[in-house]
Amino acid sequence: MEENKMAGEAAIVAPQRDAKREAIAFVIAIAGWLVPGLGHALLKMWGRAAMCFLTVGVLVVLGAGMRGNLFSSNGNDAFDSLGFIADMGTGTFYLAARSLEKEGPDVSHADGDYGTRFLATAGVLNLLAALHAFEAARGRKA
Amino acid sequence: MNAGLGFKLSHLQSMLLFALVISVAFGFLSKRRPADRVKYIAWALFLFLLVGVGIGWAMYPFSR
Repeated sequence: MEENKMAGEAAIVAPQRDAKREAIAFVIAIAGWLVPGLGHALLKMWGRAAMCFLTVGVLVVLGAGMRGNLFSSNGNDAFDSLGFIADMGTGTFYLAARSLEKEGPDVSHADGDYGTRFLATAGVLNLLAALHAFEAARGRKA
Repeated sequence: MNAGLGFKLSHLQSMLLFALVISVAFGFLSKRRPADRVKYIAWALFLFLLVGVGIGWAMYPFSR
């Protein structure tokens, strides 16, 4: 009788704990997206946090410095939209890139083309890092 | 090539930098032990450069 009661309580508590964990993992993923490396920093994975911040930061600074194209939300076609999604992957660094690129993009030279790829890669890399932090927070990966 | 923030990068330098940064990021995300990370980074960097130079050579006949 007592064992059944305890098993019933455990059955109620476990999903609640899982739901709380999922919510925390979601917040960590959002934090990791907004500020590269913050998700891992909240999980006290300092090496990964520093590396995410540095690698995404280096790619954004290089991309903006080479006058790569930062896509905006009012794109003309699907490629522009995909580019915007990739660029937005850098979170707040998107705004930093905008402020760094005072003269606007120039893709008439190879510099600008490389810069566009650097910026998009920074975003996709940050999304991957945020997903990794999300999975680590759920206890699925470390 | 003249980058906006003042650095000049050639095609090869751009590729090297790109490959290095991505390899380091992948190494840190996918491996936990430092030795494993170093091995992974070196291997990923080698493959990036191999594929990059390979594609460059494959396109060479069409460049003129």
